[in-house]
Amino acid sequence: MTTTRATTAPPGKWRRRLFAAGPYLLLAPGLLWLLYFFIWPAIQMFLMSISSGTLDNGFHVTGTLRPYTDALTKFATQWGNSLLYGAISTTLDFLIGFPVAYYIAFRGGRYKNVLLFLVIAPFFTSFLIRTISWQILLGDEGPILAFLKHTIGVMPVDFSILYSPIAVIAGLTYNFLPFMILPLYVALEKIDIRVLEAAGDLYASAWQTFRRVTFPLALPGVFAGTILTFIPTMGDYVNAELLGSPKTRMIGNVIQGRFLQSTDYPTASALSFVLMAGILVAVLIYARALGTEQLTG
Amino acid sequence: MDIERDLLKTDLTRRRFLQGTALAGVAAFLAACTSGTSESGAPASVSIPTPPPATPTPVPASPTPVPSPTGPLKFANWPAYIDLAGKAGEAQVYAPGSSPTIEQFKKKYGVAVDYEEKIQDNKTFYATVQPQFQAGSATGWDLIVITDWLAARVISKGWAEKIDHGTVPNAVNNLVDALKNQVWDTANDYHYPWQSGMTGIGFNTKVLKAAKIAEPKSLKDLFAIQSNKVSFLTESRDTFGLGLLKLGKSADPSSPTLADDLQAVHDDMKPLVEKGLIFADNSYLKNFAAKKTWAAMVWSGDLASSGTEGDTFQVPEEGVMIWTDNMVIPKGAVNKYTAELMVNFVYDPKIAAQVEDYVYYVCPVKGADLEIKKLDPGAESNPLIFPPADVQAKYHNFQFLSDDIEAKLDELYLDLTGG
Repeated sequence: MTTTRATTAPPGKWRRRLFAAGPYLLLAPGLLWLLYFFIWPAIQMFLMSISSGTLDNGFHVTGTLRPYTDALTKFATQWGNSLLYGAISTTLDFLIGFPVAYYIAFRGGRYKNVLLFLVIAPFFTSFLIRTISWQILLGDEGPILAFLKHTIGVMPVDFSILYSPIAVIAGLTYNFLPFMILPLYVALEKIDIRVLEAAGDLYASAWQTFRRVTFPLALPGVFAGTILTFIPTMGDYVNAELLGSPKTRMIGNVIQGRFLQSTDYPTASALSFVLMAGILVAVLIYARALGTEQLTG
Repeated sequence: MDIERDLLKTDLTRRRFLQGTALAGVAAFLAACTSGTSESGAPASVSIPTPPPATPTPVPASPTPVPSPTGPLKFANWPAYIDLAGKAGEAQVYAPGSSPTIEQFKKKYGVAVDYEEKIQDNKTFYATVQPQFQAGSATGWDLIVITDWLAARVISKGWAEKIDHGTVPNAVNNLVDALKNQVWDTANDYHYPWQSGMTGIGFNTKVLKAAKIAEPKSLKDLFAIQSNKVSFLTESRDTFGLGLLKLGKSADPSSPTLADDLQAVHDDMKPLVEKGLIFADNSYLKNFAAKKTWAAMVWSGDLASSGTEGDTFQVPEEGVMIWTDNMVIPKGAVNKYTAELMVNFVYDPKIAAQVEDYVYYVCPVKGADLEIKKLDPGAESNPLIFPPADVQAKYHNFQFLSDDIEAKLDELYLDLTGG
């Protein structure tokens, strides 16, 4: 019986099986990619983080926790800088980005695409070049300070921004601004304008409409935007390296220094892991605080 | 596009190149110095890597009947570290066919050369070849250019091919005396210098004049300048080496008190960092131009080749750091004989002069000054390419450090730089 069925049924059966497997087959390239370029390196990095040894003599997994105690105890200043600069620049990005996204979504009209293009346009130049340009912009005799110092004379001549925390935060805020604007735009753009009109019909003032209708509806965008901005700023080291001084180093600089300068791979790996875990926990708490249904909605 | 390319070139390639060369140079110079100035240069406390016993290499060179060159010669070097002509010369990036020296070599020996500007940083490059070395397999390179300390390490591990002196008579005869007899390879069995450089004080005379600051003649002067207008180097050996000289401590890598002295240097510099001192690679050139930096620790070749009007290299009264990048043939090199021919070729004073006239670092080849006179009159007396005897007398090589000292140095440096 079974054999007969097996011989007569194959086309339909196989087709059905293939059909059932379809989504997985389609997912396969992405999964393989993740497996090879994320999961596998992450495992390697974890093993490295519990290893001892030197580059010359090789590293061996010994289960030591020294890299983790080092990672957690030695770099308080840099962890603090990362958190502080990340938080400040994410907040600034939100304050700058929201009005921009709002304007494009509700007032952009036929210029929407042009405006969106302008938001993305800086990406056509390399990240490094844009950051180096800030060295020129913020230089002691650069266009901004020279104007404030000499042309209108409101600033002492030896005032300086470059290589200070302000410069690092400015660079971070600038470099990650589009990551804030785009998700906010997507969320705001989806809002049905009639909902806002309904609020008005129900005697809500403009501010009330914004606070009780527009902003809650934009929350998924706010969530995505802050995450997309905060995570890379936390881990960034280029801005602190090019625009900062030894006093403004962030945790990314420490990781870079351990990898490249002292080739202390275990500590560097442990630092990377702590950073990843810390961000994950922060994101979970944040998602909980904002309310998960809001985000999927 | 062009701006981007230029920026990238000057800010990344060039500085990395300089870092690397700086490192290499210091090491070589140190080695040269110790050998030149005192026989006791290598104190007993430092574990001197003994070159491995000269194993007869299984590579083509061994049979005495004249071997023939094989190719392509895989040659890894630092960016803008060989003479480049035309567009490549202006862009300071090698393109196949753009280096007269490489082209002449190819023509002379009828062999292909795959020259690549693959080394931007000693440690990063080392990380790419170390696993192969460790596994005993070939690195894929026939000739690499690495700084003293790394050359010493590679040689001490037995990861370099022994150079057949019979194939490199030019190098044997023309290597300057100051660079001979390095403690880590006394007979040049495994390395020959490519270029050297000095690390000292740099500033722009016009900028200093405008700021009404006296030109620093000594490291003490440099340390006394308002800290947020000064930069030290991102290369820890250079910065700490000069720091030792400033404190009047011995910058001899084998000094028994070195660990404490390095700590003293760190403690001496820490207050400057608090007051805004930064650590820079050759971005100090840009900072001079922007009046952001008044004076800095700098590499000589930078000011010679890329500096603008008024940029000055000052040999500090206390002494100057010297380092060398060295040609080394990695173990298992397929075209070892061709690599030796290349070593020999660039030690021809004519070729050396041709290279020097573009790269402007300190030349390790005797007689190149006479040859460069024909190419570029005046260059033969440029003290940055051919330093006079009184400058040579101030050389200190702080390159070849023991593992413990290096770990200590890394830790102190990272603490200072916040990384």
